[in-house]
Amino acid sequence: MPAATHLQFLVLGTLVAEERPGREIRRIIAGYGVRRTSAAFYQMMARLERLRWVEGWYEQITVGDQAVTERRYRIKPAGERAWKEARAFYESVALAAARRWSDA
Amino acid sequence: MPRGFRFILQRLLPHRVHRDLFEPAFNDLRFDYIERAASRGLIARGALGASCALRILILLLDCWRLTPQYIAEHRSVRPTASEPSREHLSMLLVNLRHSFRMLRRERGFTAATVLTLALGIGANVAVFAVLEAVVLRPLPYPDADRLVILHHRDTRTGISKEFIAIGDFVDLLARVDALEHITAFGGGDATIYDGAEPFRAVALLATPNVFDLLQAKPALGRAFEPGDGKAGAPPVMILGYDLWESRFGSDPSVIGRSVRVGDKSRQVVGVAPRGFRFPPHNRAEIVLPLTMPAQAPAQRKNGWTFAVARIKSGVTHDEAAAQLASISARLEQAHPAQNQGSLYYPMSLRDALVGETKWPLLLMQGAVALVLLIACANVANLLIVRALARRQEMCVRMALGAGRGRLAVQLLTETLLLCLVGGALGVALAYWGVPALVALMPRRVLVPGLAEAGIDAGVLMFAVGVCVISALAFGVIAAVGLRRQAPAAGLSSAARAGVSRSTRRAASLVVAAEVGIAVVLLVAAGLVLRSFGALLSVNPGFQIDSVLTFDVQLPADRYREVAARQAFYDRAFDAIRQNPQVFAAGAAVVTPLTGNNWTVPFERSDRRVPAGQRPPDVGWQSASGGYFDALRIPLRAGRVFHTTDRGDRPPVVIVSEAVERRFFPGESAVGKKVRIGDGDAEIVGVVGDIRRAGLNDAPRADMYFPFEREPSPAITLFIRTNGDPLAALPAIQSTLKSLERQVVFADITTLDAVAAESIASTRLAFWLLGVFAALALTLAAIGVYGVMSYAVRQRTRELGTRLALGATKNGIAWMVMREGLTIVSIGLGVGVTAGLASTVALRSLLFGVPTSDPVTLAATVVVLGAAMVPACYLPARRAAMVDPARTLAE
Repeated sequence: MPAATHLQFLVLGTLVAEERPGREIRRIIAGYGVRRTSAAFYQMMARLERLRWVEGWYEQITVGDQAVTERRYRIKPAGERAWKEARAFYESVALAAARRWSDA
Repeated sequence: MPRGFRFILQRLLPHRVHRDLFEPAFNDLRFDYIERAASRGLIARGALGASCALRILILLLDCWRLTPQYIAEHRSVRPTASEPSREHLSMLLVNLRHSFRMLRRERGFTAATVLTLALGIGANVAVFAVLEAVVLRPLPYPDADRLVILHHRDTRTGISKEFIAIGDFVDLLARVDALEHITAFGGGDATIYDGAEPFRAVALLATPNVFDLLQAKPALGRAFEPGDGKAGAPPVMILGYDLWESRFGSDPSVIGRSVRVGDKSRQVVGVAPRGFRFPPHNRAEIVLPLTMPAQAPAQRKNGWTFAVARIKSGVTHDEAAAQLASISARLEQAHPAQNQGSLYYPMSLRDALVGETKWPLLLMQGAVALVLLIACANVANLLIVRALARRQEMCVRMALGAGRGRLAVQLLTETLLLCLVGGALGVALAYWGVPALVALMPRRVLVPGLAEAGIDAGVLMFAVGVCVISALAFGVIAAVGLRRQAPAAGLSSAARAGVSRSTRRAASLVVAAEVGIAVVLLVAAGLVLRSFGALLSVNPGFQIDSVLTFDVQLPADRYREVAARQAFYDRAFDAIRQNPQVFAAGAAVVTPLTGNNWTVPFERSDRRVPAGQRPPDVGWQSASGGYFDALRIPLRAGRVFHTTDRGDRPPVVIVSEAVERRFFPGESAVGKKVRIGDGDAEIVGVVGDIRRAGLNDAPRADMYFPFEREPSPAITLFIRTNGDPLAALPAIQSTLKSLERQVVFADITTLDAVAAESIASTRLAFWLLGVFAALALTLAAIGVYGVMSYAVRQRTRELGTRLALGATKNGIAWMVMREGLTIVSIGLGVGVTAGLASTVALRSLLFGVPTSDPVTLAATVVVLGAAMVPACYLPARRAAMVDPARTLAE
């Protein structure tokens, strides 16, 4: 079994290509049917940070005429390894299932 | 997020939970709110704000729910099941239901508490909403705290200006390394000739690095390049986003197009990002590059500019100020004749925009917090009384097995519910109060978004914070009572008889503290009222009433020649004076009472200042002869300017009496010569001193230059009328339009309004302190009345016995009155002492009144007496009416 849970795999996947703000990650995973309260979501992100899979920092942006601070995340090499490991695992499982399906 | 809330929230949640869960989620909510609120109306924004506040509350509860699990994770312990949290939640719901039933049953108590809290919280929330908009809300630039405006102070006179001499700007640019992107800027209106009809646009003139300074990237095209600001560079411009949308149909091909601005064709090189403003109150519909000389000119102070910069990362404000002071000293050494006493210093952009209104607002927040304290003290007294009344109920519940902790939580829930309902009502009151407060704000407060100040998520958070803190404080008061209660003792009849002496003394002390706080506010309000009166009665040196004033702008391309402008103004003044409503008309560059501090060096031609020394400064004004008539500035000697004082005649000036006293002691100034630039000018008249910068400003030495000599295309007219000045406006405008169709009018007002605006900060403080002091006095009187009434009710048996033993009704009434007045006297003594100590904070608002003004103190005692005597007398009369036969029989 991979070290990353399926939810962690999903979150890491959103960060593989580019860094993103937390609210965008939450919106993307909501598209996959993952509904988490914002506190629970950031709890999960804090867990990923503790695992050193992602790195988070604050950045100030301007919305309209007001300055807002947002938390942004980028994937770290350990996170990328965990994501690749999980992807390989899911691919191998999918491949095996497909073979069984075609054999049947 | 306002700093106050950050402080409160950081203490409501464990640090890690706040940092890792609450903070990022809260920022997302704020982002969502701002994004959605931008395109909505006021009511929809209010609804959105309320929904946002609810989401914040839910987030807070959610963080509380996750806290045990999160903390356990941090300690590398497996998370426990969520059952305990759920149990807590269900207990909370049970407690809430029970509290709601209890409060519905005790309607009188609930109404009194909720109304008292609503007044206290409402006033706090309203003032905080304005404070948040003016002082706490970040400016719309990244890292805006590091933006500073460069100010100039003449250390010899103490006069400060918010701009910087061009010669010094060039030198500072080369020498300062604590600041980056030092930008010179100015503003104004420009006429754009594009399409069928020319139109006016708000222009920002700035050196090309302005976009680097503000870290703004153009929405289209490019930002300015350094070469755009060099002399002789092809003229370019950047369009504001709104103007690009409204006038150019969001056409991307506008880049590269030539557009005529004023008398010059400029190539559009970019479109500023959406919402770009600078300064923050300026829409910046077009941005034009400002050219600065490469070398400091010989006449360093012949031109002035506004300058803004960003303090470099890693450098503090004090370090930047120290470096500017050191460079100022070096410039003073290098150019003593021009820079003696010149000190440059940075002022944060926000402080420069908010001006002197920041301190009255902070003071008001302090004052209104005192009102809340009084309201809380009243509620605390009500709760003490209620706790005593419920002592038996609590003892029964304890005897039946309820734990003290459980009962304490119940009491806390009740007070939380009371505070939240009071808070909700207070927020509703504040919703109506904020626009009234904004209307009282001085117009010179240039913070963006002030007009939209209202109940937003931050303000609601503040209200929730105040409610929660109040609830915790009150709940603790009620719960502490439980700690000392033994169930058996509480069930005895003796316990039902009344309250202990110590409880009554505690309640009396609370009320004495209320009176003390009310006295502090009364003293402050009295002092500001006296200052306000002194400002209104001060003689500014000219007559303020019945003067109309407005700016006139002539089209630059048709009035390039001085002669053309002179001819226009000659015809204009002749035509205006024909109007039967007009007594006198004149023009000037500086409008009095607007804080203007422009100065000019003064040097007698026959007593030159030694080489290497800088002559002293006097106030500068350029005015026409009619200006003195229109403002009725008295002529003391000589004459005022004539239309003949023009370029072909020897230069002339007029000085004020203060100049004559200071520079021509014992002799007449008329006929004497002063140095102006490289030549001499004759003093042709001496006029009275005026308070030029503001009503609270001391009359200063001024020198007037003839406006007629080289009139500017943009001037301010001053017209004295024989009735309502604004009634004469249409006829005067139509007269001017008949002379020049393209003349533009702006800033139409009266000198009365200008004078009122100059004391707006004091007026704001006066109104707010007055309202809060009245509120505090009322609440304190209610507090005194409540405690005295309760004491009389508790002592009915004792009073009956005294009457039965021969005490007279008057004696009983006086005894009760004496107790009440003792409480009031203690409060008065403490309040006057604290009031006198705290008036130091008011010093900047006071004018012509000492901080220990005896009249104010006497008036405070009278007003307090007028409010407190009835509050003590009514319970005393009830005490005297006790029927001894009936009370002894009970």
